[in-house]
Amino acid sequence: MHRGARATLLVTWLLALAGLGWIVSQRLHVSSDLRSFMPAPTTPDQRLLMEQVGEGPGSRLLLLSISGASDGQLAGLSQGLAAALKKDARYSQVLNGSFDLASLDPRLLPYRYLLSPTLDTQPLDEAYLADQLQQRLDDLSSPAASLLKNLLPRDPTLETLKLAERWAPAKSPQLRDGVWFTPQHEALLLVQTVAAGFDPGAQQQAIDGIREAFHVLPGSADARLELSGPGYFSVVIGAQTRHQADWIGRISTVGFIALLLLAYRSVSSLLLSALPIASAALAGIAALTLVFSEVHGITLAFGFTLLGVAQEYPIRVLSHRRAGEDALQSVRDLWPLLLTAIASACIAYLAFYASGVAGLQQLAVFTIVGLLVAGLSTRYLLPHLLPRRVRDVAAMGWLIRARGWLDRLPRPRWIPLLVALAIAAMLALAPGPFWQNNLAALTPVPSALLQHDARLRQALGAPDVRYLLLLQAPTEQGVLALSQLLQPQADALVERHAVDAIELPSRYLPTVAQQRARQQKLPDRAMLEHALAGALQGMPFRADLFQPFVDDVETARALPPLTPERYAQTPLGQRLAAMLVQRDGHWLGLATVSGVHDVAALQTLGADRGGAVHLLDLKAASESLVAAYRTRILQALLAAGLLLVVTISVALRSARRAWHVLAPMTLATFLVLAVERVAGIEISLFHLVALILAGGLGLHYALFFERDTGDPAEQRRTLHATLVCVLSALLVFGMLAWATIPVLRAIGLTVSLGVAFHFCLSILMAPHARQD
Amino acid sequence: MIAGLRQPAPAHTAFAEARFLKMLDRPLVVSGQLSWLGDDRLQRRVEHPRAETATIADGEVTQQRDGKPARHFSLKRAPQLQVLLDSFVALLGGDAARLEQAFEIQREGDAAGAWTLTLVPRDAHVAKTVARIRIDGVGDQSRCMHMQEADGDLAVDLLGPLAEKMPAEPTRAELQALCTGSP
Repeated sequence: MHRGARATLLVTWLLALAGLGWIVSQRLHVSSDLRSFMPAPTTPDQRLLMEQVGEGPGSRLLLLSISGASDGQLAGLSQGLAAALKKDARYSQVLNGSFDLASLDPRLLPYRYLLSPTLDTQPLDEAYLADQLQQRLDDLSSPAASLLKNLLPRDPTLETLKLAERWAPAKSPQLRDGVWFTPQHEALLLVQTVAAGFDPGAQQQAIDGIREAFHVLPGSADARLELSGPGYFSVVIGAQTRHQADWIGRISTVGFIALLLLAYRSVSSLLLSALPIASAALAGIAALTLVFSEVHGITLAFGFTLLGVAQEYPIRVLSHRRAGEDALQSVRDLWPLLLTAIASACIAYLAFYASGVAGLQQLAVFTIVGLLVAGLSTRYLLPHLLPRRVRDVAAMGWLIRARGWLDRLPRPRWIPLLVALAIAAMLALAPGPFWQNNLAALTPVPSALLQHDARLRQALGAPDVRYLLLLQAPTEQGVLALSQLLQPQADALVERHAVDAIELPSRYLPTVAQQRARQQKLPDRAMLEHALAGALQGMPFRADLFQPFVDDVETARALPPLTPERYAQTPLGQRLAAMLVQRDGHWLGLATVSGVHDVAALQTLGADRGGAVHLLDLKAASESLVAAYRTRILQALLAAGLLLVVTISVALRSARRAWHVLAPMTLATFLVLAVERVAGIEISLFHLVALILAGGLGLHYALFFERDTGDPAEQRRTLHATLVCVLSALLVFGMLAWATIPVLRAIGLTVSLGVAFHFCLSILMAPHARQD
Repeated sequence: MIAGLRQPAPAHTAFAEARFLKMLDRPLVVSGQLSWLGDDRLQRRVEHPRAETATIADGEVTQQRDGKPARHFSLKRAPQLQVLLDSFVALLGGDAARLEQAFEIQREGDAAGAWTLTLVPRDAHVAKTVARIRIDGVGDQSRCMHMQEADGDLAVDLLGPLAEKMPAEPTRAELQALCTGSP
C-alpha cells in the first residue's frame, strides 16, 4: 500500500475511533446501582432486598461525629451543621439531640391531642387538669420555668413535650450543651439521606454536601468532622479500589510497553498494535449504549478485564512476521487459527447472553462486539499500516535454544491423568467453604472505620443495617394498625434485652381509627371550660390565661385525622414516609431494630400474625441472591463449554486435535480452582470471571501450540508470540495480585495462575512437532 | 470589692425566692438552699413548699422531684440559670474578670457599706430573656438578687439570714424595703 493510502487509512481509522468516542460520551450512562447487575430475585425476601437495598431507612443513615474543640464549640458546630442540612433537600432527616419546639409545624400543633397517647387512659377532666396545673406551678418556680412559660397557655398538660420524648430516639446519647455527645467528647449527628445507601454516586454528593456545609461554619477549621454508615463506606471503598487499581495499572502499563518494545524493537508497531484494542473497547461500549439504556459499572470493569484477550491478536501478528514478508501475508497465514479462537470465544459468550441476567447480557454484548472488532481490525486494517520490513524473530539465538529445550522435554501420556488426580485431591482436601457468597467481603471496610462506626452506632442507638422488621397489610392504615398491635410485644422484647430498640411506624403516627377514638374523648368547649374553672379554684393563674388551650382542644375535635400524605410535608412525616412503602397493591411497614442480641426472640415477634410480620435478614437475603447469581453464571459457563467443544471440533475437523486444544485448557482451569481452594481462598463471582479470561487466553496458547506447520521457524515464532502474551498477562495481572483489596487480588491471582498453568499444560500436552 | 465577696467552695446560703409572673395573680414563693460546689457547678435545693433539687453541671441542668424521674435540659435553653451561674459563681469566686466578661456592671454604694450592683448581660441571646440583675449587699454579704426578665416578669431572691424574713404573700415594695433596709 502507498504511503498516501496508509496515511489515509490511519487517519480514517483514528477519525472513526473519535466518532465512536463521541457517541459513547453522548450516550453512555453508567449506573452504580448494584441492583441492575443482579439477577431477577425469586424469593420474597430477595425481592424485598432488591427494593430495599440501599433504600431501607437504616442503609440511608449517615453517622457524623465532630471532635477536636471544646464542648461548647462542638455544640455550636453541631447546631450550625444541623440547621444548614435541614434546609437541604438531599437529606430527609437531621438529628443532633436538640429538640426545638419551633421545628414543629404550628398548624399541626392541635394534632397533639390525636397523636399523644394521654387521652387513651386519661380524660381531660377537672381532677386531671387540677393535678397538671399544680405541677405547672411547681415548674414555674423551678429553673425550667423559662422553657415552659411560653408553652403553658396553649399546652398546660405538656402534650408537646410528651410527643417530643416519644419521638426522640429510644436510646439517646448523653446531652451536653443541648446536643448529643459521645463519652469521648465528640458531638454526634444522625443524617438520613434521600439517596439510596448503595448508590455511591448519590452518596458521594450527599457526603460532599455535608462536608461543604461544615467547612463554611465559623470555627470549623480546627474541628474534625468524621462520617460513618453504609453510604459512606461504599464511597470510601469505591475510591480506595479505584486508587489502587489506578496506580497498579500505571506501573503495569509502563512494564507492558517496555516488554513490547523489547520484543519488537519498534515504536510504530507498538503504537499501531494499540489500535485494535482501543477500537474494541470503544465499539463494545458504543454497542452497549445502543442496546441498553444504562450500563452497569461492574459490567464495564468485568468487560475490560475480559477484553484483555484481544491484546493477543496484534501480538500474534507481530511475532509471526517473517523476514521480507508483507504483514498482510503473515496475517493471512495466521487468520484461520485466529478466526477459530475469536469465533469460538464469541460463540461461548453467547451462553452469557442467554442467561437472561441483565448484567451478564451486557457483559456478553460488550465482549463479543469487542473481540470481533479487535479481530477484524487486526486482520483487515492493521497489516496495511505495519512497517514493511521487520526482523524475523525466528532467527534469534535464545529463541532457537528455548524451542529446542522445550522440544526435548519429556511428554508422557500420563500427565493429564496425574494433573486430574492432583486436582481432585486438592479440591477434596481444601479447607473452608467452597464459595464466597458475601460480596462485601471482597471489598472490606477498614477495621478502624468499622470500630468507629460501632462506637457511634452504640452511642446513638442507631438502627441495625442487617435486620429490618417488615409489617405487611392491604392498606397503609392496616400497616399502622398492625404496628400498634405489635407495640406491646415489641416493648416486651426490649424489656427482655432481646433487642435494644424497635422503631415501629405507629410511633410517629397512630391509625385514623385511634385518632378518631381520641377525638371522641376530647370534651366540648363548655365541658372543658367548666372543668378548667373547677381546676383553677385556689390557683394563682390568671382567669383567661388558658384560652389558647381551650381553642386548641376545640380545633382538635374537628380536625380531619392526620394521614401519612398530609403528614408528609413535615420532617417527621418524611421520617414516616421512609417507613411505609407500597408494593404490588399492598403496603409494607419497615420497622428498624437496634442492637439485636437475640435473633430467635426477634423472629417470634408477630409470629401469630399469619406471616404479616417478618424479620428480614438483609445479609442472608443478599447471600442467597449471590448464590443464585453464581448458579446462573455456572449454567452459562457449562453451556459455553459445550459450545466451545463443538466449535473447536468443527473448526479443526478432528476430535483428536480438539482434545489437544481443549484438554489442557480444561485441566488448567480446574487446576487454578484447586490451587486457590487449597490455599484457603473462597471462590467468588470475580474469581469465576477471571477464570473465564484465563480460559480465553489458554485457548489461544493451546490452539497455536497444537498447530503443526512442519516448519521449525514457525514453531519458534509461535513460541515467541506466546511468551510475549504470557509475560504481558503475568505482568499486568501479577501486579494486581499484590493489591491489598481482595477483589483486585482475586482477579490478579486467578488470571496469573491461569496464564501460567495454561502455558505449561498446553506445551506439555501439545503433540510433539517432530513425532507427528 | 468583688474580691472581698470571695468564699471558698463549697459555699452554701439559704434563699427565699418570690416570682412575680404576668400569668399569675400572686407571686410564687419558694425557699431552700443555694450551693456553689466549685467551678461551674451550682445546686438549688428547694425545701418549701415542695422538695425539688436542680443541679447545674457541665452545661446541663438536672431537675429532680420526689417520686419523679429526673429531667435534664441544656443550660443554653435556660438563660436565667446561665445568668444566675455567671453572677453567682463570679461573686463567690471573687472573679471580677468573669463578671466583667458576662455583664456590663454598674456599682453604687454608700458610706455605711451598703452597695448595689446592676448587671446587664452582654450576650444578646441571654439579654433577650434577662434584662438585668440587681444585687444588693452590705459589706462582704450579698443580701438580695433581683432578676428582671425582658417580658416584665421579676424574681427576687432574699439571701442568707434575710431569707427567713420572706412574707407569705410578698409585694414588690415589701421586698424592696427588705433588701435596702438595715440588716
